Amino acid sequence: MGRQIVHRLLVSFPALLGVLFLCFCLLQVVPADPAMIIAGPDARAETIAAIRNELGLDRPIPIQFAEYIGRVLRGDLGRSIISNKMVSEELALTIGPTVELMVGAMLIAVPLGLALGTLAAVKRGTTLDRLIMAISVAGVSMPVFFIGLILIQYVGFKWALLPFTGRTGPVWDGGLPSLILPAATLGMVLIGPIARLTRTAVLEVLGADFVRTARAKGLRETVVIVHHALRNALIPVVTLIGLQAAFLLGGAVVTETMFSWPGVGRLAVGAIVSSDFPTAQGAIMILAIAFLTINLVVDVLYVYLDPRLQRS
Amino acid sequence: MSVEVLGPSAHAEEPRVLGRAGVLRRLARDKVAVLAALALTVIGLAAVFAPVVAPYDPYLTDLTKVMRPPGGEHWFGTDNTGRDILSRVIFGTRNTLMLGLIGVLIGGLLGGVLGILAAYYPGADGWIMRLVDIMLAFPAILIGLAVAAVAGAGLGAVVIALVVATVPDVARVARGAAVGVMGQEFMEAGRAVGVSDRTLIWRYLTLNCISTIFVFLTLRFGQIILVGSALGFLGMGAQPPTAELGMMAAQGRDFLFMAPHIATIPSCAIFVIVLAANLLGDALRDVLDPRLQT
Repeated sequence: MGRQIVHRLLVSFPALLGVLFLCFCLLQVVPADPAMIIAGPDARAETIAAIRNELGLDRPIPIQFAEYIGRVLRGDLGRSIISNKMVSEELALTIGPTVELMVGAMLIAVPLGLALGTLAAVKRGTTLDRLIMAISVAGVSMPVFFIGLILIQYVGFKWALLPFTGRTGPVWDGGLPSLILPAATLGMVLIGPIARLTRTAVLEVLGADFVRTARAKGLRETVVIVHHALRNALIPVVTLIGLQAAFLLGGAVVTETMFSWPGVGRLAVGAIVSSDFPTAQGAIMILAIAFLTINLVVDVLYVYLDPRLQRS
Repeated sequence: MSVEVLGPSAHAEEPRVLGRAGVLRRLARDKVAVLAALALTVIGLAAVFAPVVAPYDPYLTDLTKVMRPPGGEHWFGTDNTGRDILSRVIFGTRNTLMLGLIGVLIGGLLGGVLGILAAYYPGADGWIMRLVDIMLAFPAILIGLAVAAVAGAGLGAVVIALVVATVPDVARVARGAAVGVMGQEFMEAGRAVGVSDRTLIWRYLTLNCISTIFVFLTLRFGQIILVGSALGFLGMGAQPPTAELGMMAAQGRDFLFMAPHIATIPSCAIFVIVLAANLLGDALRDVLDPRLQT
């Protein structure tokens, strides 16, 4: 298993370099020459040249890229043009809320999706099955912001049940109410695909010999379904969650923007709107790295859940 | 793949044509698919003929009729500047559908070519797939954000994001299908009688992979529309006053409590389009390529 993780890390390395290069490019397109900005409007050509030399701007692009990687590794992502704060500091504040939101969404989507999918499989062919599948197709076809708009309008505004702007604090410190609506919005997107795949996977497993054996042993139906069928059905579901990570991340950006949730996604969107390139670069880098990490974790989890893969 | 043993020889044409008619007949038996196809056709026609169909000028503001609820002379009501929402939704659908189509077509073409070449030339396989892996490391929304940051927000940024988001997955599916075809006897036979690489790739390989790629693209179309409209919602796509469904939903958000229809109607339009596309894609997959089923 250790070897597989190492292999997986090696595969993600070029992707990571790609991410870094894209972020490096983002910093290159700043419309004005940074040296000219620092030197001021009536600086002489030599002064500008000296500053360019000092900043390393006159060196070839590959060397500048290598230096950029060095800075990133030291945690130096530059300063925000707007707030003049270190980008790394701003990012540090936003990562927590984003992780909170994504974990919250998963905690809502995974159990619900698994339950609905299993129910549909067990009640195969009934109206309930058809209803669950219809809901799941509808869920896959909903724009994230539509779900958010409905929740904000009804649960947040009309019925005034839960807050719908900003984050009042960490979950453990009274922040739970403000997390519920954003997490539910993001989670809804995932319920459909999870339920659908769980249904297929459980149906497949229910026909297997070991399920028949379990039933023949006289195990209760619940035990058969939860311990034998669902456990094996989990494998494709975990893969699916990995595949949906892109969706989850994109959804998080939209959800954060809608609910003024102070996460990385909202930071990125705000930075782009205000042409704050260093901040945009940092936020996009963090989001891309998060995406790579989710996929890595999913791959490892996959091997853990399916012991057959450990031997190969 | 239903066309497993068909080489590109002349008498292979017949079963192909029959097959196509069979596909339509089987699709016609699926009531949901028929309904979805009908809905998409109506929506598509309305989008194409938007200037004729739309009852009002989508950009004409009328401050005497601000935020009218749906009904009466404005079926879908008016927005915060008194523009007719039905007309804007029709024009917005046009832009949104165009974004999705361009993304899927260009992305499908590039991805398909990459995947087929990877399957045909084992030497290039590793490199192409590594490139695909790198592209997969960027979720579509992120690409949209990055492109918008570099080149400025606009429909162009969204198109690039949608293409980049489509290419890697299509490449994988195309490669998978092509590797299957590569193992068929007619490929070996073609090579043995000295058919050129070009003919082998285009006539033998591509023709046999196209239905798989097509089904996959149909299945992806809905998702691509969702990504495009999400980028529009974030303000990375069409800029006002251009009508685009995602952007219209974002603008309506500011008036959600006074006039919810301004935001909900464009959102609903996206939902209907994506739902119809997904239902049709599912039905098409069941008929054409059950193996793609997840």
